[in-house]
Amino acid sequence: MTAKTPEEIIQALRERVPSGKVLTDPDDLQTYGKDWTKVYEPNPLAIVLPKTTEEVQAIVLFANEHGIGLVPSGGRTGLSAGAVAANGEIVVAFDAMNKVLDFNANDRTVVCQAGVVTQQLQQFAEEQGLFYPVDFASSGSSQLGGNLSTNAGGIKVIRYGMSRDWVAGLTVVTGKGDILELNKDLEKNNSGYDLRHLFIGAEGTLGFITEATMKLTRQPMDLRVLVLGLADITNTMDVLKAFQEKLDLTAYEFFSHQAMNHVRAHSDIQPPFDTEAPFYALLEFEALSEQQVDDAMAAFELCVEEGWVLDGVISQSETQAKNLWQLRERVSESIAPRTPYKNDISVVVSKVPGFLKEIDAVVSEHYPDFEIIWFGHIGDGNVHLNILKPEDMDKEDFFRKCEKVNKWVFEIVERHRGSISAEHGVGMIKKPYLGYTRSEAEIGYLKAIKQVFDPNGIMNPGKLLDV
Amino acid sequence: MKVLVAVKRVIDYNVKVRVKPDNTGVDLANVKMAMNPFCEIAVEEAVRLKEKGVATEIVVVSIGPKAAQEQIRTALALGADRGIHIETDEEVQSLQAAKLLKAVVDKEEPKLVILGKQSIDTDNNQTGQMLAALAGMPQGTFASEVVVDGDKVNVTREVDGGLVTVQLNLPAVVTTDLRLNEPRYASLPNIMKAKKKPLDTQSPADLGVDLTPRLTTLKVEAPQTRKAGIKVGSVEELVDKLKNEAKVI
Ligand SMILES: Cc1cc2nc3c(=O)[nH]c(=O)nc-3n(C[C@H](O)[C@H](O)[C@H](O)COP(=O)(O)OP(=O)(O)OC[C@H]3O[C@@H](n4cnc5c(N)ncnc54)[C@H](O)[C@@H]3O)c2cc1C
Ligand SMILES: Cc1cc2nc3c(=O)[nH]c(=O)nc-3n(C[C@H](O)[C@H](O)[C@H](O)COP(=O)(O)OP(=O)(O)OC[C@H]3O[C@@H](n4cnc5c(N)ncnc54)[C@H](O)[C@@H]3O)c2cc1C
Repeated sequence: MTAKTPEEIIQALRERVPSGKVLTDPDDLQTYGKDWTKVYEPNPLAIVLPKTTEEVQAIVLFANEHGIGLVPSGGRTGLSAGAVAANGEIVVAFDAMNKVLDFNANDRTVVCQAGVVTQQLQQFAEEQGLFYPVDFASSGSSQLGGNLSTNAGGIKVIRYGMSRDWVAGLTVVTGKGDILELNKDLEKNNSGYDLRHLFIGAEGTLGFITEATMKLTRQPMDLRVLVLGLADITNTMDVLKAFQEKLDLTAYEFFSHQAMNHVRAHSDIQPPFDTEAPFYALLEFEALSEQQVDDAMAAFELCVEEGWVLDGVISQSETQAKNLWQLRERVSESIAPRTPYKNDISVVVSKVPGFLKEIDAVVSEHYPDFEIIWFGHIGDGNVHLNILKPEDMDKEDFFRKCEKVNKWVFEIVERHRGSISAEHGVGMIKKPYLGYTRSEAEIGYLKAIKQVFDPNGIMNPGKLLDV
Repeated sequence: MKVLVAVKRVIDYNVKVRVKPDNTGVDLANVKMAMNPFCEIAVEEAVRLKEKGVATEIVVVSIGPKAAQEQIRTALALGADRGIHIETDEEVQSLQAAKLLKAVVDKEEPKLVILGKQSIDTDNNQTGQMLAALAGMPQGTFASEVVVDGDKVNVTREVDGGLVTVQLNLPAVVTTDLRLNEPRYASLPNIMKAKKKPLDTQSPADLGVDLTPRLTTLKVEAPQTRKAGIKVGSVEELVDKLKNEAKVI
């Protein structure tokens, strides 16, 4: 094939996707070329907004012919630079594929195009008297395609699992350009390898998800929220166990006293109680009857007797439940002005207390003037470690020191058999550290799988793995 | 000084209210209920008066079905000392509520009665005023500040044009506005202690009040749903639409 100028390529692309839009305006290139991370300078060749699976296929075939990389782009709220086009790729955005195509009340499933926004699916479910339980602070912008490609988790994982658990079927276009219908929405289908699960969490490196059939469930009843003041970080798991022996929790989150101070300085939110505690746990459960409330009381009493919990409150209304959630949900935005260095790590639940202690010790020994903010989905063994930049340190210096911290943190993660990315994916940001969680042999298999689905390496190049 | 606080069980502020298909009222089946937000403020104010050493005893009263005891227990957990539940499954209109409260006031002889300015279910904004009239007490409504000073109470009221401060002789009736205070959460240890606090149940008949409604509800309708917005292409089009369609300029 003869070499073409960028203009000629864009023109040829337009001809291949007659109903879809192709954008080349500098503003659009900036906007669609990056996700939430904003670390890499976006530099896409063009943005294309297909309307159908067939158009996505046409784009893939086109990219294979021209040897051009494709970057799948959803709501661009990703935190690992997965949806970043920094090297002249074509961004394939799903904004024009945002329709709920079908709903089946008997199967409790809903067929969505990949560009359906998470909140749109939640609302659709609610209108049917049902519930889509995957939820997090970015659900107003993130898309189903992005949720599935990062296997997003969020605040209800302890009860409802990850995005993966809600997928009945997928339509994908592989990096080779084949359209596959995976699992055909079946509950039971033991007919060999389940390719659906390869595409979930693949971060767009194997192909595009163009449609997904999602499962829905019944709406939760009366949700009650407790906030407890913990005597020590090591008590988080004792408290979890005490409550789980009596109740099915729908959430178990934690945040440090410093985290709460930032939330309170940032927005006018009242503390749950006057007693000061180093850490707080937020628990949520469904009060199907007064029995569950009594069970929660009994668990609380035990925790106080054991000295694990110093004080606690329980919501008396939905308004109070919402306000208590704010204490946890606003942590991220309240520390954002302090240029936090973020890590999203996990270990099995039983190892959490020792793991946190070790990391805390290492960071505070080497950088006593770094402020560390802990919070996260601790009931799933998932914590967010945030290091705040000291006001008087310059950014470069700070990030260089954090890189060093990273290495120590990931060594501790490895020793505890944990993950360097619990729910945010790998993208470009975590790529250098994949070896702390996956063995060399395993990475070899990942690369081989990539080769099968995307032999020319056009799908999201430079993300997750280098081939 | 004894303080009497009235609290009402209402539909939770966060619940999307649905009108019954036959337009006779609001659908209450399986709907989450909670303490009226203005009553939460009333309880908080009484508790603060007690913490300041001004109030010596807080009595909390609620009129309603058996389940209204939940809201009384919440008030007890927040710091009230004992509860009175006037149990009825009948509809209780403002005047009947005021009469029942008047009967409680006669018995308890509080120096201060604090109520919410209105309940968010019927939005009547009448019970406090009616109680003051029936009991022959002065009233300070829409309070944003309450300062007890000897045998008087200064109540700063939120009115349309700003703030008005009135001085009332005790005993008096005060109704709370939103900015009076920010209610605290009920702590779990206090919720447990509240289970042991006294709660006395009475019937409207015990208090000699007839609940026969004086008002009849003809029809309940949901508010009109908001129309979706539109995008205009130019300033000219916007001006044209404001002039000729919305007719606001
Ligand atoms: C404030 C905030 C809070 C967050 N909280 C959480 C949380 O609690 N839990 C959590 O898990 N995450 C969280 N995230 C991260 C992020 O929101 C999720 O990972 C989300 O699922 C990403 O969806 P998106 O549509 O924005 O994806 P994008 O950022 O657009 O893309 C993410 C990845 O998926 C790929 N991709 C997108 N669409 C497709 C497609 N159709 N086919 C193939 N590949 C595709 C992209 O190439 C990229 O690699 C949070 C982010 C923010 C900003
Ligand atoms: C009376 C009866 C009732 C049954 N009811 C059900 C039912 O309700 N639901 C259901 O799902 N199945 C049912 N089965 C099928 C069967 O019992 C299950 O599939 C069971 O899980 C097979 O286990 P097994 O150890 O007997 O496997 P095997 O029959 O020994 O092997 C099954 C397959 O697994 C492979 N395999 C075995 N061990 C390993 C290993 N360690 N590593 C890798 N591969 C391995 C074998 O090569 C073979 O391909 C039933 C069978 C019978 C006889």
